Amino acid sequence: MNPEIHALSGAYALNALGKAEETEFERHLSGCSACSAEVRGLRETAALLALDAAAAPPPDLRARVLAAARHVRQAPPDLTPATRVEQRTGPLPRRARAGGRTGPGKRRPRRSWPVRLALGLTAAATVAAAVLGVVAFDGLRDLERVRETQRELVEVLAAPDARTLRRPVTSGGTATLVVSRERGRLLFAAHGLPVLPEGRVYELWLMGPGGARPAGLLTDDGAGQTLPLLTSPEADDRHLGLTVEPAGGSAQPTTVPLLLTELPGT
Amino acid sequence: MTKPTAHPLTPVPREPGLEELLTAVAAGGEQAFERLYDRLAGPVYGLVLRVLRDPAQAEEVAQEVLVEVWRTAARFDTARGSGLSWVMTMAHRRAVDRVRSAQAAADREHRAGTRSAEVPHDHVVEEVTVRLEGERVRRCLGGLTEVQRQAVTLAFYGGYSYPEVAGLLRVPLGTIKTRMRDGLVRLRDCMGVER
Repeated sequence: MNPEIHALSGAYALNALGKAEETEFERHLSGCSACSAEVRGLRETAALLALDAAAAPPPDLRARVLAAARHVRQAPPDLTPATRVEQRTGPLPRRARAGGRTGPGKRRPRRSWPVRLALGLTAAATVAAAVLGVVAFDGLRDLERVRETQRELVEVLAAPDARTLRRPVTSGGTATLVVSRERGRLLFAAHGLPVLPEGRVYELWLMGPGGARPAGLLTDDGAGQTLPLLTSPEADDRHLGLTVEPAGGSAQPTTVPLLLTELPGT
Repeated sequence: MTKPTAHPLTPVPREPGLEELLTAVAAGGEQAFERLYDRLAGPVYGLVLRVLRDPAQAEEVAQEVLVEVWRTAARFDTARGSGLSWVMTMAHRRAVDRVRSAQAAADREHRAGTRSAEVPHDHVVEEVTVRLEGERVRRCLGGLTEVQRQAVTLAFYGGYSYPEVAGLLRVPLGTIKTRMRDGLVRLRDCMGVER
């Protein structure tokens, strides 16, 4: 390690080098793992210095940032090892400012790109989910599952043969079903169902030639609606039923159905 | 109806780390981005404001930085450092770039006299962890020599290059380089930053 250039690690971590020296130091860093490790630690330290400067941003900044992000296409991850080294040592594309200069090899953020199809689909799924009364989801571990669920919801809602049925529930409330025979999927949601006593649940049933099969338990979203329930009817399932069962559900219906409806496409 | 049980759609309440949030943002997670904003907007805006001094410019740069976080979240890699460090480095560099551009330099000179009046001292984020970090930062800064402390704070909060800092403190260039490094190393050890 060259002690002369190594002494620049502090100034580098504080972004206090001029352009020429910074470029030189970054070139040095890419071949000096000890220097990279030191810079990493010093940058972490600087990040804590930054916390000391925290101040409440103007209240309308939030809406503007979120709106702006919605119209900015996200960059793919960097996969090449060469870029990774550069990223580690200098993670930001320096943008031209006032003088109109742009560093070599650095790109300006691309704004105003059309929103990606994937994002559009997610947005559509979010809208669909909101309409169906899905509560706000939190938790990263669940995020993938939520996205998968959204994808599945859209798959049913957007299926060319999707049919929507709205049926009253005899004890009160309304059930909505979206069925795609092509996809073999059924989406069920209800609102206004009476709250059940402790230890009882609403259970959904699919009924074919072989009788009734459990199709899932309804979950209250806490706001008078159920979370949407996705299930997979067989081609010869002709009816859907809803009963009240002991907590945990039953293998066979044990009460009189509150809803019994013929499925479309049979 | 019963309370939610083990339904696949049941949310699990949990506070994810910045790194996890960034991973979710990289996958297009708009809700994760909102949470990230709520966690980082204060530190980003505050740092940029501290460097630029001008609330209007600070707001503009903070917005650029936060949108850039959204845009490039896929390039964040935990192996290269923490999420906080990634975002704050970006914020600091943007602020410094702005401050060093010719126009901003002129503006800053013009404002030099009124600078203290422009800093909103009351805009302190009421967030416990931030405050605790702040206290630790101030305590550790107090443990540096005068030149170390000034070298670090003028460069970081002031956005000055090290030759500028050398000029301000009337200390030779080589000395300033060393003081910046020594000062940061001492801060790192005082704040218990993992290496």
